[in-house]
Amino acid sequence: MIEFIPRYWYNIVPDLLRPLPPPRDPEDSNFSRIELLNSIIPKEVLRQQFTAERYVKIPDNVMELYSLAGRPTPLMRAKNFEEALDTPAKIYFKYEGATHSGSHKINTAIPQAYFAKEEGVERVVTETGAGQWGTAVALAASLMKIRSTVFMVRVSYEQKPGRRTMMNLYGAEVYPSPSEITEYGRKELRKNPSNPGSLGIAMSEAIEHVINNGYRYLVGSVMEVVLLHQSVIGLEAINQFDYIGETPDVLIGCVGGGSNFAGFSYPFIGSKRGSRYIAVGSSEIKKFSKGVYEYDFPDSAGLLPMLKMITLGKDYVPPPIYSGGLRYHGLAPTLSLLVRDKTVEWMEFSETEIYEAAKLFARTQGIVPAPESAHAIMAAIKVAQEAREKKERPVIAFNLSGHGLLDLSYYQKMEAK
Amino acid sequence: MKKLLVSYMTLGYPNEADYLNFIKGADELGTDVFELGYPPDFAKYDGPLIRKSYSKVKSAYKNFSELLSKSRNFTKKKIIVLTYLEGIQNNLDEFLKNIKSYGADGVLFPDLLVDFPESYSGYIKQISERKLEPVIFVSPFVPDRLISEVSALSRPFLYYGIRPTTGIVTPVGVGTLVKRVKNLIDNKLIVGFGLKGDDDIRESLSAGADGVAVGTAYIEAFEGAGLKGALDAVKKVRNILDEFE
Repeated sequence: MIEFIPRYWYNIVPDLLRPLPPPRDPEDSNFSRIELLNSIIPKEVLRQQFTAERYVKIPDNVMELYSLAGRPTPLMRAKNFEEALDTPAKIYFKYEGATHSGSHKINTAIPQAYFAKEEGVERVVTETGAGQWGTAVALAASLMKIRSTVFMVRVSYEQKPGRRTMMNLYGAEVYPSPSEITEYGRKELRKNPSNPGSLGIAMSEAIEHVINNGYRYLVGSVMEVVLLHQSVIGLEAINQFDYIGETPDVLIGCVGGGSNFAGFSYPFIGSKRGSRYIAVGSSEIKKFSKGVYEYDFPDSAGLLPMLKMITLGKDYVPPPIYSGGLRYHGLAPTLSLLVRDKTVEWMEFSETEIYEAAKLFARTQGIVPAPESAHAIMAAIKVAQEAREKKERPVIAFNLSGHGLLDLSYYQKMEAK
Repeated sequence: MKKLLVSYMTLGYPNEADYLNFIKGADELGTDVFELGYPPDFAKYDGPLIRKSYSKVKSAYKNFSELLSKSRNFTKKKIIVLTYLEGIQNNLDEFLKNIKSYGADGVLFPDLLVDFPESYSGYIKQISERKLEPVIFVSPFVPDRLISEVSALSRPFLYYGIRPTTGIVTPVGVGTLVKRVKNLIDNKLIVGFGLKGDDDIRESLSAGADGVAVGTAYIEAFEGAGLKGALDAVKKVRNILDEFE
């Protein structure tokens, strides 16, 4: 039902326990990176980034496009999966894979492309890891009748030709990163011609391309404005849970930069619904267990203002695991705060563990999850098993952030192991 | 009620004579409170202009307390010393005693709440014990509950920094932000930190601010047109404030 789509986005900053450290320039800086944002990011996106309003109205045009792109997404009970786990817990999932672009990423691509178009921009540029974000930007740009360029992390570009094709089909120009298009890309390639790339490098290339050509950059994660737009997931889920008369106790989501987890869980945290919030990362990229809370650049080139966040360091090159969406060094600043004050718990799982989780979920519920989302499934399994041992009946809800129909080469590789 | 003008200047900027004449002139032109920047080790939340002013005075002077004391001879208005707590927290008491003895009435640390969220109340107590007024700095990054809580402790007003850094304009909804914070507090509200241009000032006042704090604009004017330019900038802001009496 269309009525489930909320009319406002939710911003958690006014409801945090402590102040959010502001973005800042490094000590030796002779220019303002915060000022630079003005020429990179659409003005309204930037205004929303720095807003203190708890609720921000969703423009009518964006509401229409949300509906066109597949919202509201289904909230489903995974009964067969529960049975297979032999758990007394109830398990629900919010299926963001049901959007036309196949993941939650469209929720922020649409408003950002809309605000870019509003200020007369002809092309938007971004980076993508696994490809979900690039796909969403490609679609959002086409819906707004503007053009798009996507720098795709080289390892994903090679592993996922299907994603590339989908972006091209939606109308985007796609380059593997590091690329020859930008100075930063060329420098990286000179250092290491077989550099697998990282989100940080691709982001740096996209920003350089924007600065040199007067385009606008669309942000895929980490920044608060993205988390704000993604809150449509959690707010919609609250409406759906209210409709069926249920309230979840445990909210789970996987974490790259943090936007899908935050988008799903923040509205629950803010309205004091639920008692456990679990952010799930990859044990190949030990952001939660090894990350340090400090000011760091969100991009490898250091063109963006520094953010205080849990980070593995901007120069960290993550191992080429298949869950490209999780291959990022930092964690959104609000989520970093919530993890530090223990409002949000974390778990980390390996590729092997999440493969088993994905397989069980596909066989019981019929949905092939994106490997990133399978991290959330794995956490749901852990909580469900715990419930069985403790003889408790919690209501678990996880965000199934995307489908894995373009990730079949990963499943093929895991199958062969 | 008369709207308040809080004038910021970096201690000793751009040189001692012009600085002191600025204090004298800005007092005569209707500054209600002076906010004097005591160069910190790292002005982490300031923009490039203020940072540059700190570097300039740091290479010119060793003794900022003396400059503070001289400032006192040129104005009877309240003097709030602005600096960062990081770097001096271990010698805080000595610092507070020092600035008090040289004529400061209060102190403002822009990093107090953000970087010392667990211990801010202890620091506020320490400031008050030294008979200085604690001016507390809040921003759109501070949660509502904390704004209400600290507002009750902030004297002689609560300082609301509207943008992430001084002197850099990012698109923010000035009126919306000010109205929101006004609803959370029962104290005088001064808006600053990144206010740009007459429109921002008018919008803040229309939304209920009791006054504004201006700094980067004076430094910019100093750089372009010297002391006269800086004082003209003070006059201009005062005139806007007086439209709202």
